[in-house]
Amino acid sequence: MGRSSMQDLLIRIDLSSGKAAPWAVPEQLKGYLGGMGYGTKILVDEVAPQTDPLSAENKLILTVGPLTGTTAPMHPQSCIVTKSPLTGTILNSYAGGFLGAEIRFAGLDGLILEGAAPEWMLLVIEDERVSFHSAEAVLGKGTAETEGYLKERFGPDVRTLSIGRAGEKGVAMASIFSETRTFGRGGAGAVLGSKRVKAIAVRGSRGVEVARPEEFALLVRENMELLKTACAEEYNLVGMFSRVGTGAGMGLVNGRGALATRNHIFGSFDGSTKIDGYAYADRFYTRAVACYGCPVHCGMLHKFTRTDGSSSWLRGPEYETMYSLGSDLLNADPVVLAEANQICEEYGMDTLTTGVTVAWALEMAESGMLEEPGLDLKFGSSGAILGLLRKIGEREGIGDLLARGPKGAAEACGGEMDRFMQIKNSGFAAWMPRRMKGTGLAFATSNRGACHKRAPIGAEITGQIDMDAYEGKAALVKEIQDRVNAIFTLVSCRFHEFVTPPEIYPRFVRAATDREISLEEFLAVGERIWNLERLFNIGAGLGRADDRLPDRCYQPVQGDASEAAVMDRARFERMLDEYYRLRGWDEQGIPAPQKLEELDIPEYARLGAR
Amino acid sequence: MPIGFDIDRNLCTECLRCLAACSLTKLGRIQPSLARIAVKRQWPEIPEIRVCRFDDCPGQPCIDSCPVEAIARDAQGLVLIDGDTCTGCRACVEACPYGVIRMEPGGSEVAYKCDFCGGSPACVPECATGALARKGGS
Repeated sequence: MGRSSMQDLLIRIDLSSGKAAPWAVPEQLKGYLGGMGYGTKILVDEVAPQTDPLSAENKLILTVGPLTGTTAPMHPQSCIVTKSPLTGTILNSYAGGFLGAEIRFAGLDGLILEGAAPEWMLLVIEDERVSFHSAEAVLGKGTAETEGYLKERFGPDVRTLSIGRAGEKGVAMASIFSETRTFGRGGAGAVLGSKRVKAIAVRGSRGVEVARPEEFALLVRENMELLKTACAEEYNLVGMFSRVGTGAGMGLVNGRGALATRNHIFGSFDGSTKIDGYAYADRFYTRAVACYGCPVHCGMLHKFTRTDGSSSWLRGPEYETMYSLGSDLLNADPVVLAEANQICEEYGMDTLTTGVTVAWALEMAESGMLEEPGLDLKFGSSGAILGLLRKIGEREGIGDLLARGPKGAAEACGGEMDRFMQIKNSGFAAWMPRRMKGTGLAFATSNRGACHKRAPIGAEITGQIDMDAYEGKAALVKEIQDRVNAIFTLVSCRFHEFVTPPEIYPRFVRAATDREISLEEFLAVGERIWNLERLFNIGAGLGRADDRLPDRCYQPVQGDASEAAVMDRARFERMLDEYYRLRGWDEQGIPAPQKLEELDIPEYARLGAR
Repeated sequence: MPIGFDIDRNLCTECLRCLAACSLTKLGRIQPSLARIAVKRQWPEIPEIRVCRFDDCPGQPCIDSCPVEAIARDAQGLVLIDGDTCTGCRACVEACPYGVIRMEPGGSEVAYKCDFCGGSPACVPECATGALARKGGS
């Protein structure tokens, strides 16, 4: 018998006073397993839904799960939960790489950041010890430079996260960077910035064990065999990711008329073969790089010559960015796309919401509603794309307005909100609700806004189910949302379950922690978390009116391959009604008391009380 | 069969499964920083894979460097450190051309390095790309 991988220990860091203290995980938290479960439960217990996200009262919780740092493949990620300054909802955001494993090696299940520091600082976590250092030397610096500085100053073996200038300046879609991986969505970078934390370095010396080593080793072997087989298959998506990265699927999406193009007016892009995974593999490939312990190695390291003639490297772009800084902006130049991605990394900005914002700005400029001296604001213009991104990161000129997020930008610019491709103020991920009805419902009902992580994308885009059908999608969406939430308590990579059947998760939990849990109970944890998030969001002032698609989704997609696909308003509303019913919520989307009883969280009804 | 590793660092994805497996086998817990194999990051350039090269190491200078004869090559060809004899003088650490002999942290201060897991290294089957293989096949 070994020791459970979960340490039942987080570090609570009060930035206002500069004090840190170990915090033993209370019994009632343990049923949430870890990762997103821990983050969500802690946030809803400790932060009132109406809290200003950029105030000292908001908290930022960074967690790992029972499989993090172990040899279980595809479990490198860590999870951030906070109240989002972009959406005003509860946010969960993920990054791969090595930070998660290092937190685990430090003997921790996570960190809770609270308060706000009086001066900009760097945090160094060494096992349960926390030290505070001035951030003066890296203030205003980009993310990669900041993290390089941390390794120079605190040792090459520390693992890091940081914000760039966007996070420092409170850009609504600021992200948190971690060694080429990113906590992208929802503006977590602005929250960290509001707390005046520029960066965190972690070094662990405790290591990790599992409760049942032999059982665990057998599971790892079983899982590795599945992945090995998948990676060797020509048409397996994970196998394609393994060979050319996540951009492998763009051709398929384009062929199905579902590649969002020119601010989602079109569903296909004639430049797609110039910017997809195969194009990058052909022209710029150097090698594949993996996150901790991952045999899939979907990270592709590209070397390219920038527009100014200098040589440069980029791990990416990822598929979602090929859309948001590529097809959606009519940008068919892979070098411009790579540079745009680099700007987002350097400043620390979500490529999705930022790209969608640029697309909207270009469309507004076309209608004469918006302009910026020195920039020719046209779709496909490299100067416009790169210029707008830098201005958003700097909050300079029109960038200062666009940096406020969709609603703020539309108000400040006087532009049309209904042409902004956003839900709950979060920019669209790379998928088209009109073309994929279930994905549309998933986007609309996501607790963090326009989110692709809990949508039936694979089944719809591959034709496994009819993507244009409405029937059956409500049940499917609910099932995926609950399942993915459950999996995110383990902070599994989203691609893990593409290959691995869900039955493996309870077995992994038992082998790692000695906790017996059935698959049904495991999935119920996911549903419980979904409802907690929903209650928090209702308490924050959201409701049915926010589970809506932008008007463009009710107009036909243009382009032959898209077959004039459109979302029918009445049928969408019926799908939403059905979804609420299946969830046990009332017609306004408020969880009914019986549902909360059933999920054993009746006391949280108070969260939703306005 | 020759003792040693076939290493193609061009194929290394820096996933560190080899380090995880090594520390798990030797320590009973995963702590990559204490592994007997290291992947030295040279981002964005290709990393170095550092581990004892056994038969590929010309002259095996660690053996002669040890003043108390704690390091020897056994009949199978494994170069091993006898921790009970080691005095912790660090001569082998200095002598190793690959920088793969280290001192155990904590009070004991005994030199340690890869022992090839007695003949079937735990790290090798973990490598998904073939960057690390057993010399002469598995």
